[in-house]
Amino acid sequence: MVAVSFNNVWKDYGGGAIAVKDLNMEIKDGEFVSLLGPSGCGKSTSLRMLAGLEHISSGEIVFGDKVVNDLPPKDRDIAMVFENYALYPHKTIFDNIANPLKQSKVAAAEIERRVTEAAKLLEIDQLLERRPQELSGGQKQRTAIGRAIVRQPQVFLFDEPIAHLDAKLRARMRGELKHLQFTLGVTTIYVTHDQLEALTMADRIAVMNDGVLQQFGTPQEVYDNPANSWVATFVGEPQMSLMEMQVTSLEGETALAFGSYTIEVDPKNSARLRAAGKKDLLVGVRPDKATVSLDESLGSIRGEVYSRQLLGADVLVEVEIGKSRVRAKANTSFAGTVGTPCYLNFGSEDLYFFDAKDGQVIPQ
Amino acid sequence: MASRELISYDKGVAVKVLKWASPIFLTFYLVWSLLPLFIMLVASLKDLLDAFSVPKPGDWAGVTIFFDFSPTLTHYVALFTENGFGTYLFNSLVASIGSAVIAVTFGSMCAYSLSRSEFRGKKDLLFWIISTRMAPIVAVIVPLYAIFRSVDLVGTLPGLILAFTTFNLPFAIWMLKGFFDGVPYAIEEAAQVDGQNRFQAFVTILPLVAPGIGAFVILCILFAWNDFLFATIIGSGGAKTLPAATKELVQPQNIDWGKIMAAGIVTTAPMIPLGLLVRRYLVAGLTMGAVKE
Ligand SMILES: Nc1ncnc2c1ncn2[C@@H]1O[C@H](COP(=O)(O)OP(=O)(O)OP(=O)(O)O)[C@@H](O)[C@H]1O
Ligand SMILES: [Mg+2]
Repeated sequence: MVAVSFNNVWKDYGGGAIAVKDLNMEIKDGEFVSLLGPSGCGKSTSLRMLAGLEHISSGEIVFGDKVVNDLPPKDRDIAMVFENYALYPHKTIFDNIANPLKQSKVAAAEIERRVTEAAKLLEIDQLLERRPQELSGGQKQRTAIGRAIVRQPQVFLFDEPIAHLDAKLRARMRGELKHLQFTLGVTTIYVTHDQLEALTMADRIAVMNDGVLQQFGTPQEVYDNPANSWVATFVGEPQMSLMEMQVTSLEGETALAFGSYTIEVDPKNSARLRAAGKKDLLVGVRPDKATVSLDESLGSIRGEVYSRQLLGADVLVEVEIGKSRVRAKANTSFAGTVGTPCYLNFGSEDLYFFDAKDGQVIPQ
Repeated sequence: MASRELISYDKGVAVKVLKWASPIFLTFYLVWSLLPLFIMLVASLKDLLDAFSVPKPGDWAGVTIFFDFSPTLTHYVALFTENGFGTYLFNSLVASIGSAVIAVTFGSMCAYSLSRSEFRGKKDLLFWIISTRMAPIVAVIVPLYAIFRSVDLVGTLPGLILAFTTFNLPFAIWMLKGFFDGVPYAIEEAAQVDGQNRFQAFVTILPLVAPGIGAFVILCILFAWNDFLFATIIGSGGAKTLPAATKELVQPQNIDWGKIMAAGIVTTAPMIPLGLLVRRYLVAGLTMGAVKE
């Protein structure tokens, strides 16, 4: 349909509120991109600038080869699901969904067919005669989705479109939206703060924090090679743990000092650390790569159980070591409770290394 | 949506006293406000002789004298045949409806833009608009008269419509702005994304403020209809309205009470149903958007 790009886009709301800072992003034609970030990081603002609902303070937004900065929303050929639904309170659900089609003068019979089809897909076909205030939150949200998918625009803009649905329906909607986007081939920008949604649906994820784009890459890249410690801890559930360590040497080899422990490093990573020449590091480990046990073993680090949470198939144990807390997944048979001494193990090849000063990843 | 079931709680003494006091107060209030209207209606149907037959002071049984008359429509007939009240009724209708329509049309557009845009000095502008309404009309009537006369608007219906609009418009702008403020802008954003331009989006949300607009058309009609100062000064001569014409029935040598009472009824009667109508609309309009869903 159309490629979309942000070129040095800033959004300043005035009064010191800079919502988006120097955003650069190129979204390919037909790509499904997810904007992921915590609340208030500027996701909706970026999306609204794409829609033409928000003035761009500086920079440009390009659709295909056309700068659209000054193009009103109606000329951008976009369909959007609003964070707050923004349904027409005085119109029936049918008319709400039909509105974009009516604007583009589609024949009545065709409107009828397409609205019914969309409503069936969203399981709201028995509600078409009602008005928005007679609907539940999730039903309103599905109506808002219906209004967007009923036509085939150049770009889909979804602002947390399934945040208010129950878990089962959400799982189904993820599949339906992904399928729809793939078959229509419409370029899609999907805002969410739910990383599971981003990781499962998107071709590429743009991770934002505090108005700044942190990383833009495939779900795999973002998960395996986070650009900085912030992305590393934001993406992945349960969260990655960070430990403060210093680079030292042990019998001539590069090693890591962690409290009173010295940790050996595999050859690949030791070459990497040597090349970077940094001393203070933040070292990350994902919970499923760390093991915890009540018995001491070779190379294990002693700590105390800080908390224990059941995750279903296994338990998440938070181990307190000095002033660090490290999360590790353990078998449900793990007997430790709060305060029990325990031993933590991880392999140096599973570690993530960041500069302690600026949080940037140590280059591979 | 909360359910509308009433929950009753234990009532204190104050509530019990109020429960007794309020019907008494309301009875007095009703008599106080309805009695003059009633006297006016009865007097307008009496001929001169009946009108001045009153019981002696203290003779309460003699009250029946008030109702001991044969109703006559002579005053009404005379008003329309001798005094030309048909024309004045027409003038009143055209001037008040005309000014109401103009005030609400321009008022809603102005209110919409003031509600939707932010600019420096917006507060001052809003205050200036309402200050034109708060200023006493007598303070501006003389210069206004001079201006109107120099452009030949004195004594014409367009002149009167314009004069009424000077006080209806600021009021309409302020109240309608409140209604527009109650409509979330997101609805218009959705309309724009759906392929409408700003004006079409404005039209899309109009049904949401329709109760407010309806109420305001009526209120503006009421204000203009009841106006006396502009009507006598700007409208005098060619565009005399009912209140102005009624006043002229008071002649130094002869006060024609029957006709005056009949004119009072003619002036009041059309506004009563409007008043009842506006009550319903205003309640709907003023509470609209008070609760965020
Ligand atoms: N109209 C506005 N005026 C001033 N500041 C605003 C405005 N809209 C948003 N902001 C600020 O801009 C920042 C980004 O807001 P935005 O709505 O884009 O966040 P978000 O990433 O969508 O968050 P959420 O996940 O909570 O929806 C926030 O700090 C917010 O306070
Ligand atoms: Mg948002």
